[in-house]
Amino acid sequence: MTTETAARIALPGGEMLAWSDLPEQRLPDGGPLAALAARVVPAGARVLLAGPHDPALLTRLAHAEVTCLLRSHPDGVALADRGARVVVGGPAGLPAGETFDVVIAAAGLDAVESVEGPRLGWDGVLDRLVRALRPGGTLLLRLDNPLGVQRLVATAPWYADRADSAWTVGGVLDTGRPANPEQLRARLAGAGLQPGVCFAAYPDPNAATALVAADELDRRPTSGLFDAVLHGACADGAGDATVLQDPARLAVDALHAGLGSALAPGWLLLARRPADPDAGSAPAGGLPLTDDPALPVALVQTGPPGIGVVEVVDGPDGWRWRVTGRVSRPEPAPFATREVAYRDAGALDGPVPEGRLLRTLLLDACLRRDPDTLRRLLRGYASWLAAGADRDGRLGGAVALAGTDNVVVAGDDHAVLDPSWRAAAPLDVDVVLARGLWRFAAALLTGGYAHPWPSTLDVAGLTVVLGGLAGRELDRATVDAAIEAEAAVSAALRGLDADGRVRLATELRAVEPTDPPAGPRSYQQLREAWVRQREELTRLAALLKWTEELLTSRERALRRADATINLLSGSLSYRVGRLAITPARLAKRGARAAKRRARQALDQRGPREEQQ
Amino acid sequence: MHHANHFYGHAHVLARYCGLGDGHPPRINGYVQHGWNIGDGLAPGHPYAEFTPSLLWSEQTRRRAWSVGRRNVVTVGAPFSYLLSLRPDDPPEPAREGTIWYPFHGWEGQHVKGDHKELIARIRATEPGPVTVCLYWHEYGMRRVRRLYEHAGFRVICHGYRGHWWKDTDPLFLDQQLTELRRHKRVASNRLTSAIFYGIAAGCEPAVYGDPMILSAEDPTFGGTARIRRQWPELHGESVDLPTAVEIARAELGTDHRCTPAELRELLGWANLQEERVDH
Repeated sequence: MTTETAARIALPGGEMLAWSDLPEQRLPDGGPLAALAARVVPAGARVLLAGPHDPALLTRLAHAEVTCLLRSHPDGVALADRGARVVVGGPAGLPAGETFDVVIAAAGLDAVESVEGPRLGWDGVLDRLVRALRPGGTLLLRLDNPLGVQRLVATAPWYADRADSAWTVGGVLDTGRPANPEQLRARLAGAGLQPGVCFAAYPDPNAATALVAADELDRRPTSGLFDAVLHGACADGAGDATVLQDPARLAVDALHAGLGSALAPGWLLLARRPADPDAGSAPAGGLPLTDDPALPVALVQTGPPGIGVVEVVDGPDGWRWRVTGRVSRPEPAPFATREVAYRDAGALDGPVPEGRLLRTLLLDACLRRDPDTLRRLLRGYASWLAAGADRDGRLGGAVALAGTDNVVVAGDDHAVLDPSWRAAAPLDVDVVLARGLWRFAAALLTGGYAHPWPSTLDVAGLTVVLGGLAGRELDRATVDAAIEAEAAVSAALRGLDADGRVRLATELRAVEPTDPPAGPRSYQQLREAWVRQREELTRLAALLKWTEELLTSRERALRRADATINLLSGSLSYRVGRLAITPARLAKRGARAAKRRARQALDQRGPREEQQ
Repeated sequence: MHHANHFYGHAHVLARYCGLGDGHPPRINGYVQHGWNIGDGLAPGHPYAEFTPSLLWSEQTRRRAWSVGRRNVVTVGAPFSYLLSLRPDDPPEPAREGTIWYPFHGWEGQHVKGDHKELIARIRATEPGPVTVCLYWHEYGMRRVRRLYEHAGFRVICHGYRGHWWKDTDPLFLDQQLTELRRHKRVASNRLTSAIFYGIAAGCEPAVYGDPMILSAEDPTFGGTARIRRQWPELHGESVDLPTAVEIARAELGTDHRCTPAELRELLGWANLQEERVDH
């Protein structure tokens, strides 16, 4: 700690010396939260960051004058080194009388209180922060959901938290804290604030990769965009953790049930302190209203390679894509093969297509075992792909990578949802279709979904069957080319080298219907995989038994036939007949021998003739 | 392969459709429904291995099979619909004439109870044109029964032997049936059976009338003829509404669920054949 750093740290008492709150998991450029904060904070505003935040947020708020309130002394030193003014201590340590234009408590209020000193409680901390907010100022506050998707899939119950941070466990039983956005709004109103826009945070409130306007989430339960965003955020966010059930499935189910915001792992709510009528006009630059239409509908950090935070904004013609922040493409691995796919942020400047996600429609038709709908959907998908192909039957750009999880369907119209995923070189249209179908088949089978086909089909077989429903005669060679393409695309997007790509292709080819799905180890899906394996063993055992019985019966039939032949061989008529045809048999045998000798003689002469 | 898959040359038709030629069809990984059925699509009393796929004709049959505990049931359509695809206009449609009449048959182990003479009188009184009577091979072989129909002035034919335990299967059974159906304007029977649906699909006007000839020891599990009349009243009578009949036949034969050859090869377990072809 330099002298300069020490000068920027105020120690009003209550600091925690052997403690750190700064998040271990950090998103590039602070992720969607930083992008939202940057929109909320006007240039030159005085900002209080109450509680631990990703240091990248300071970079994004370089246009403002930021003060950090932290309980951890090491964290305070780290942020002061970045040039921030830091107050280390409990909320009581905030300078009396000092107010801010914006107060951000995006780690919630629990992390603002220190173990040292008297406890203020949730309401007490809120009250202190509200007092630090100047009239007309904005509060951005996070609340975690005691019944959010993250909690519902956790293997450990919330009430058994043994982490160091659990010196008190605040839960839904505690009436001293709000447990949902409605209660939060009531508390904020009680504290003299005007609550505004609420964002649902997925998949982890500590590192949300998706922030979606809660009212839009509830209003548009069939939105293909929200379907893809929630599924992507939860599938990527869970990594290979152990969970009770698939969080992506649960999140998408919640969305379709109109509970997308109710089951969000957390919420970020904007509130405003009413302007003091006696204080005159608002400061230059003006703070955004909490219901400002300029606020995005969604802010999403999508998979590798990062192109910063992608925003969806509402406009007169509906939703549009908008890309903010830097555009970064990871350096390819030293021995990387030629990239076959990349992300192009520039493609995200058009409207967001409306419609339902093709994957969801197909899953639904599989579950309802509705072959007519499956046929209609798959034919529509295949025809749409074929219509975009060039004269050589090849597809390029975004359509070449358009799997069922990135295509939205509205009536008979199809569109690529996120066109930033692009193929570098055109692919054969059948390979594109087979890749999309293989990915769907693998997810369907390993995910344990009910479907209308027999368990004897492997993933490649189901891909061919889906191709047939789409009206295309795919063969296993095409499916193999599709798996190769899938490995190459994944390798390019993940920055794998050639060996990594080969390994990935081998792994993909080895995927069996009895395997659990890729991604988090979910108890529910592991159990389902075990059930499928058990059923397969039952099937094979029954088949073996049946085959044994059939073999016994066939052997008996063979013995009967043998006996009949022997009986007939010994009969007088057989012997007379055999005697009668003996000359003919001998003549036939002689003719064969002569033919063989003649052929041998010709074969021996042939080479000699060539030598002459 | 289950021997019932060979009945009526079904496996042969499917092998031809899958591009495997006219030889002996490879083993099918499952049981192919071998006749129109108001149960789970499989013949009662046949031994089945648990979880072995059932390849059924229609969605309705698939739902019913599931509801009675069958699993691994998949709708692929009737082999006859694959034959129609193989022979959409072969032979070219002739001038259709008369009626092909299928007196209800049981299989070899069953005995039909009923009065053939009474049925013959009903047929003569009803059918406007020449009548071809198609007897099941079992009855065709019974000279007494065959003569009854011959003496009535009907042309009496038999499509062939369906086969049993892979023996004597006539691989062209369905082909012969299709050829005959396409020669006739009407198809009729005293029971709603596969032949009626085949006839409708082959372009005949259907009719179901006359004594349904109850089988001795008929299995009542799925409701028998009484239920058939209750569930498909539109197809019963000397004259029925053709568009309705066509629609029902399409559903019952699963024509819309007919797979592509590559798809069918996967479903029958023929995509990665290990056994050597035996061409006889």
